[in-house]
Amino acid sequence: MIENLIFLGPPIAACVVLAGILSYFGNHILTRGIIFIDIAIAQIAALGTMTGLLFGFAEESFSVQIISYGFTILVISLFAVLKSRKMAISQEAIIGILYCVALGLALLLAEKISGGSNYITKTITGNILWVTWKQVLYTLIVVVAVGAIHISYSKKFIQISENIRDKKGAENKRFLELLFYITFGFVIVKAVFIQGIFLVFILLIAPAAIVRLFTANWKQRFIWSWVIGILGSIIGIYISYEYNVSNGPAIVCLLSTLVFLAAFVKVFLKLFRREPLSKIVNNIKE
Amino acid sequence: MTILEFMLAPLMACLLLILINVYFGIHVLKREIIFIDIALAQIAAFGTTIAVVIEHIMHEGHAQDHDHSGDSILAYILALSFITISSLVFSFLKNKKISIPLEAIIGISYAFATTAAVIILDKAAGGDVHIHDMLIGSILWVSWAQVLKLLIVVAFVGGIHFVFRKKFTQLSDSYHNNNSKIKNSFLWDFLFYLTFGIVIIEAVNISGILTVFAFLILPAAFSSMFSKSWTTRIIVGFVLGAIVSAFGLYFSWNMDVPVAPLIILMLGVCLVLGALFKRFTKINKV
Repeated sequence: MIENLIFLGPPIAACVVLAGILSYFGNHILTRGIIFIDIAIAQIAALGTMTGLLFGFAEESFSVQIISYGFTILVISLFAVLKSRKMAISQEAIIGILYCVALGLALLLAEKISGGSNYITKTITGNILWVTWKQVLYTLIVVVAVGAIHISYSKKFIQISENIRDKKGAENKRFLELLFYITFGFVIVKAVFIQGIFLVFILLIAPAAIVRLFTANWKQRFIWSWVIGILGSIIGIYISYEYNVSNGPAIVCLLSTLVFLAAFVKVFLKLFRREPLSKIVNNIKE
Repeated sequence: MTILEFMLAPLMACLLLILINVYFGIHVLKREIIFIDIALAQIAAFGTTIAVVIEHIMHEGHAQDHDHSGDSILAYILALSFITISSLVFSFLKNKKISIPLEAIIGISYAFATTAAVIILDKAAGGDVHIHDMLIGSILWVSWAQVLKLLIVVAFVGGIHFVFRKKFTQLSDSYHNNNSKIKNSFLWDFLFYLTFGIVIIEAVNISGILTVFAFLILPAAFSSMFSKSWTTRIIVGFVLGAIVSAFGLYFSWNMDVPVAPLIILMLGVCLVLGALFKRFTKINKV
């Protein structure tokens, strides 16, 4: 048992650290309605890595990471700057287009690199069981740095996210927008490398969605989504250990089932609360 | 064999796919549920996966090689019933009733379907190739029988949507309007997702998730820059898609590159050119 605990230590630590920051960002992402942004960012980062491989650098080398981060930050800055202008289509549509074109390019590159399509699969699944304490430490540093920035601007970020559909005054918020997206991009690239696209996606959206169903208060949203994200990860890892399934998928299935349950509970609660009222109104009309 | 003979079936398939996808694309952009097609495709694939497992259990002991494509009737029935269930869920959990965007629910279903399939298959042999195939498909190898089947599906779904076009367009136009009073909007929503799902099952079988996604979003986004009327948008999108896929097939033949990424990239370039063109004409007018 203790051996297992030592073995599961780094994955659990990584999940706790990442669940914290991801569920925080999730609340913003959900309010802004840009659900698939992390999948698009992950795909762009993967495209950067593949470009690095094409130039002949080794897969885990420093140069490849630099190219990958550079690529991501370039594209996401463009997105942050351009999106404040008047657009005929929604931001989510632009994200979809970015994702689609980046994946198309990656697939073209995959033909030129040996083991290229293997690489595409790897981005999808991640490999959290093989995470080391060193990686956890690096992640923690990134998380603390990003967290510090966000704590100092927290009120402004919340304000921007809440009024995202309001087109007025977008110009002078450009710096903050840039800061938001760049920090977000950094965290996502780091997280996807460890956890894979789906686990990151679900840790981002699911806890925030569950909490948003029941409260609109930002403080409560942050706290509860944090709790749900961390508990979900730990229970998911425990289930995967107990029933011998891969742990990324176990966490994803657990948290997504929770969202559906919560959503249905919410809808039924609403129905029951409204039913008597409408009946009364009907009775009065008759 | 001349190029024309070889390319005629893929070209016909492309034209049919574009025709129906541009139409659905406009709906999808208006409703801001960009990633619905990827989610439905993955949910259908989850059904197919279960069918493969069931068939495997039933035929245990027999030395039988079953193909992964899931062409059996059982696979189709399972895929269709999963689509039906998720259509019900999507129409039930509409934005108005709960406080989170439908896109979040769609994303979570996507993550759930994908990872649940992974748990069931648990890294079946050739998983990499399978994922790669599912992404970009193999439209070059489409058979006339498949084209005929696609034609029937497109005619059937297109027919339904043509007859009830007013209902469907009204529903999507007022999708984010909380006070819209459309009778039985639940049923129409359900019919919308169900017919869309039927198209997606067929389309993804032929050309892969990514190509279908590109056909859905990119031409519709392109046309949104130039017109607001449904008919004009469908025509503009269709003409663009048709020209691009004809060129894509031709270049893919001549330069020996995979056709799907090529079409996606060309559509992406057209979109950027369109946006630039629009910007310059606007500036000139001012």
